[in-house]
Amino acid sequence: MSDIVLQTRGLYKTFGALVVARDIDFSLARGARHALIGPNGAGKTTFINLISGALPATRGDVFLGGDNVTRLAEALRVKRGLARTFQINRLFAGLSVLENLYLAVSEHMGAANGMLRPAGARPDVVAKAERLLETLKLKDDAGKTVAELPYGRQRLVEIAIALALEPKVLLLDEPAAGVPSGESHILLDAIDALPRDIAILIIEHDMDVVFRFADTITVLANGAVLANGKPEEIVHNAEVRAVYLGEGNHG
Amino acid sequence: MAAPAQGLAARSLLSHHRFRWVEAIPWVIAIAVFFAFPGYRLLATQILVLILFAISLDLIVGYAGIVSLGHTAYFGTGAYTAALLASNGWTEPLSGLVLALVLGALFGLVTGWVVLRTHGLTLLMLTMAATIMLYELAKDLDFITGGFDGINFENDPILGVLPFDVVWYSSNYWYALFFLFAFFCLARFIVHSPFGRALIGIRENVERMHAIGSPVKRRKLTIYVISAGIAGVAGAIWVQIQGNITPAVYEFELAADVLIMIILGGTGRLYGAFLGVVAFKILENVTETVLGTDEPYWMLAIGLALVFTVLFAPRGLLGIFEDIIKTVNRRAR
Repeated sequence: MSDIVLQTRGLYKTFGALVVARDIDFSLARGARHALIGPNGAGKTTFINLISGALPATRGDVFLGGDNVTRLAEALRVKRGLARTFQINRLFAGLSVLENLYLAVSEHMGAANGMLRPAGARPDVVAKAERLLETLKLKDDAGKTVAELPYGRQRLVEIAIALALEPKVLLLDEPAAGVPSGESHILLDAIDALPRDIAILIIEHDMDVVFRFADTITVLANGAVLANGKPEEIVHNAEVRAVYLGEGNHG
Repeated sequence: MAAPAQGLAARSLLSHHRFRWVEAIPWVIAIAVFFAFPGYRLLATQILVLILFAISLDLIVGYAGIVSLGHTAYFGTGAYTAALLASNGWTEPLSGLVLALVLGALFGLVTGWVVLRTHGLTLLMLTMAATIMLYELAKDLDFITGGFDGINFENDPILGVLPFDVVWYSSNYWYALFFLFAFFCLARFIVHSPFGRALIGIRENVERMHAIGSPVKRRKLTIYVISAGIAGVAGAIWVQIQGNITPAVYEFELAADVLIMIILGGTGRLYGAFLGVVAFKILENVTETVLGTDEPYWMLAIGLALVFTVLFAPRGLLGIFEDIIKTVNRRAR
């Protein structure tokens, strides 16, 4: 049990009459590489939003490191080691790459309440932002505004911001979505290189990526868990093949 | 204060904070105006106070993305604090300012706690309604406020030596300029601090701020309270330099004008307040002088200027200046 860093029990969500999450039981082990797949509209992003707290659950519970965080606001879950990226970039588009990272790092290191020193005066905060630039090979773009960058590089900034929060659990919502195929390897290499102690849940449509990356796969359909298991089990699962793989829906 | 060997990243982050010589221009002009236009000193003094008021509004509109149509609620509260204090026997002006700051901020805390739960149109309507109610209240409570006619009052000399001068406005001008400078420096320090950068993050993408663990509500309330306090100081100086107060300090039109001023000048850069207030006041005065005051032609002029700004210069007059300087620099190279 102590090895489970994230868990949901009976997570249920409706939008009016529409049920988007049906009693989802899910757990993520420390250092896991877990993929969440399913056809469009299966409720994958909704599930991530429920875990992160961007959406309140109708009922059910979310546990982070054994603590029930269902009633905690999104920002407080972040403080407990949960970070996410977005399917569609949500960056500070008018600010430079460096400033984007600075915001996340200074928030994480508790510097962002400070009014007595100018931004950039704390060497530890700056050093960490610089390390992230280096890790994700964004150093040459540090001074550019995010809006100036090609989409693929903006996706790297998404991941860099999440890493700035030093998460124990990282939720990646289609990290390579919208990235030209020629550039996607940069992104996938970056994901491969993420620290092993972070538990990662990744939503991904590209099955090559899923099988290269994941040690466990959960399949969602109509807001419910259809199957859960090792990649080879999922490939041979008849139900999964019927609703998902068999349709050739590689999104 | 900074690390001895600053890297590129630190220098780039600190660059906003660093003083540039262009920034001396408005202050040099402010000093020059005192000597060059003695006949316009009342107007010039009012402009200084309005700039301070506009800066307080820019802190929430331009930095945290909180658009308010009722910032006179705090301006007026500060004004009444100073005026009632003086008219009831406490005639020392600086303590009046301090109390105006405190009460403005406190009122900002109480009202901000409620209104900041909303945003967009609801927030606009709530802030507007609040200041309109205060205006009516100030008019009706005539046994305290003197009603529509207001109150005349007199303050002691500043620091016991420099009397307020309601004929030539000389001491009043320096009084206003001093506090404008002091609070401008404070505002400048805040917006370039880590807290100020986090506010910009809220303005740019509030959802992402939640997702990086930022206590967005608390940050917004903090800057709202600071802004309300500064607006209170502006209100106090406004009435102290004129020696009287009427409910007009709560007027919705003033709140709307100040919002227009910072949009004209350019929001989110503090100096936009200087340009916007000056442009607004000059436009108002010139139109009235040329076309007369029989019809509200100046409103038409301001309206056209606003439409032009929103359509063609969304970064305001300051944005136009920045573009000109950039083009000149590029040509020079």
